[in-house]
Amino acid sequence: MSVDRRTRRRLAASVLVLIVVLGGFLIRLVDIQVVRADQLSQESEARRSIPTTLFGARGDIVDANGVELADTVYRYDITVSPRFVADYTLKDEATGERTQHTVAEALEGIASVTGGDAAQMLATIQDELALDPEDDHAYLVRRVTTEQFQAVRALRIPWVYFDRVAARTYPNGQIAGNLVGFLGTDGPQTGLEYRLNDCLDATNGSATYERGADGVKLPGTTVVQEEPVDGGTLHLTIDSDVQWFTQQTIAEQAIAIGADWATGWVVRVSDGHIIAAADWPTVDPNNVDGTDPDNLGSRSFSEPFEPGSVFKAMTFAALLDAGVTTPGEQIIAPGRYPTIAGYSITDAWAHDDLRLTTTGVLMRSSNTGTSVLSSRLSADERHDYLEAFGIGQETAVDFLGESSGRLRDADSIDGHGTLTQMFGQGVTATSAQIASAYQALANGGVRKPLTLVTGCEHPDGSVTHVPSTEGERAVSEDAADTTIAMLESVATDGAIANLISIPGYRVAAKTGTAEVAENGRYTDERIISVAGVAPADDPQFVVVVTYGKPDTMKTSATAAPTFRAIMTQVLKTFRVAPSTEPAPRLPTTW
Amino acid sequence: MSAVPVTALPRPVRERRAEAAPLEVVATRTQRRARPRAVYAIVGVLGVFGILLAQLMLSIVLSEGAYRITALEAQQLELDRSAQSLGERLNVLDSAQNLAANAESLGMVVSATTPTFLLLSDGSVQGTPRPAGSAGGILEGRDTHVGNVLLSDVPLVTLTTAGGGESVTETGVATPPSSSGSLPSASGGIPSPDTR
Repeated sequence: MSVDRRTRRRLAASVLVLIVVLGGFLIRLVDIQVVRADQLSQESEARRSIPTTLFGARGDIVDANGVELADTVYRYDITVSPRFVADYTLKDEATGERTQHTVAEALEGIASVTGGDAAQMLATIQDELALDPEDDHAYLVRRVTTEQFQAVRALRIPWVYFDRVAARTYPNGQIAGNLVGFLGTDGPQTGLEYRLNDCLDATNGSATYERGADGVKLPGTTVVQEEPVDGGTLHLTIDSDVQWFTQQTIAEQAIAIGADWATGWVVRVSDGHIIAAADWPTVDPNNVDGTDPDNLGSRSFSEPFEPGSVFKAMTFAALLDAGVTTPGEQIIAPGRYPTIAGYSITDAWAHDDLRLTTTGVLMRSSNTGTSVLSSRLSADERHDYLEAFGIGQETAVDFLGESSGRLRDADSIDGHGTLTQMFGQGVTATSAQIASAYQALANGGVRKPLTLVTGCEHPDGSVTHVPSTEGERAVSEDAADTTIAMLESVATDGAIANLISIPGYRVAAKTGTAEVAENGRYTDERIISVAGVAPADDPQFVVVVTYGKPDTMKTSATAAPTFRAIMTQVLKTFRVAPSTEPAPRLPTTW
Repeated sequence: MSAVPVTALPRPVRERRAEAAPLEVVATRTQRRARPRAVYAIVGVLGVFGILLAQLMLSIVLSEGAYRITALEAQQLELDRSAQSLGERLNVLDSAQNLAANAESLGMVVSATTPTFLLLSDGSVQGTPRPAGSAGGILEGRDTHVGNVLLSDVPLVTLTTAGGGESVTETGVATPPSSSGSLPSASGGIPSPDTR
């Protein structure tokens, strides 16, 4: 009996102890697994896992043929841990030989590879240490190329580290630099880089991985929290070869005639695509500091000017559309056309009454003749026609800093201005607007939205930022075609015909020599331009060339050779078939 | 009296038994079967060691794989770097400025002002053919005005086998096509073909 009881007691005691111990474990288990689970797992993760940022690459900007105008590349920042900077020993892996290296040697090595200054680097390290002896990070050289990075890495300096950073490069330099824009240290600064950053910008992702004591990544421990998304590829309508030729050609002539600025435009007639939009001077996005801040953007979009007689093409299309004249109508272009009290309109050259046809007025670019004809339209009609050609409104490109120019309506303009406006005086327009207006004339009167970007192609294949292709009719097809035929007289019988004609092709063009107003007065500064289309029998391309304030040669004869060179290059590049019929040669005098 | 024989008697019996035929308790078959055998123990222990060994080998292989993956990833990174740096270089060399300057330096000529086409359908020449001059490069010796700082340290390609290449280009452009019958003379306006 007594033995039994003792056994039972002992049993009960052990069970009790067991329960107490198990209970202790249970409480601890619940405490670890449930109560403090998050905190503990975070602690352990933090101890083992390394968070990393997965960088997405900023999208490229490419031209119509896929030539990269802006490209994302990787550069490397060479950094040191100043507190570890000391002489070191290197062991040659192959021979087992040990060599001693000093800090000075190491810095000299880095400097010789990266083109830096070793003394400067040492000073940086010492400065950092003076501030904080435990300092762990200082930049030695920033943004070195991959080759330089590999060369520095080959030095095997133990206290040197490398950070990979994304950088932007513009392989074509100044080609389309005015349009593409550039990135600064704080991101996009101007141009398409800035305007369409929502297309180009990448979304960074994040991931963690775990690593062992020896720094090797443990297999299968990488956890991607968020995948990075690369930026989209921005497709432009620009042809970089034509863009180069245009920039080169306007630059040569602008320098030769001492112009302050120049623009050259090529637009495809059928869809309003901008093939080239050149500005001189222009920025090399790789070297922004080498450019005057005034020239960082695109003057063709942002700087309207009084365009002068190139406007007359629109005026005559309007007159024909309204049915108030015909190409062969015989009129008198007076030497002086009085408008309002004390004001009158004259021509660039003094003359008595000229017996010109409507075509002749356009070819000779007579302001008085144009005024005689335009006065047949009401002030509202004059305004509305110019507006229909896109004057006074921003183009569909919506470029960064684009100007709408100034077109005054019938209510805010006087009787003089409403007529001068018809030959491009007292009205301002950008090169983009002029090119767009000529596109409408060449396209049978339908003005297509001027297009620079055809879309943004995202990595998943979707395409956004697709522009509208909906055209708007400015004038009737007949009026537009007849205007082109009338403009051919400039290239067949005009004063600069021999400078502007292209053998084998019918060219329709209009010159402009606009006076530049400063402080409310017209000065002897000029803005000269030639705008035209070819081939006139089946218009394919519009070319507009403008020179601002040339010092020598202030006539449109200086812009004509450039126009011809660019147009010829465009016709060759796009294999445009020569004209098959001769120009109509409409009568200009009577 | 009685106690003596009682205590004395069994002793010889016991001794005799031990000396003569020692008896053992023979286990029944079921008992024998139930008894653990050494072979099982050995198998069990070996199995445990085998498993431990396999696990060890597996983890060695795995970690070796991890090192290999790391090494290959490093190699891939290095190759990506090379590809990127070469691609970057190619894009710069591919730029129009560089191509134009090099074409000119190699003596390539172009007829910049008179585009001429040969119609394959009837063999006629469209446009006014004019031979490009010996200095008829696209720049014609003029300075390039479209800058690119990336090209500043890129030398122009020069002809290594001078003689042959140049003579070929010269003969190629020096012969003006003769069949320009379909083109009217340039006397009256822009020369363009008559209707055919």
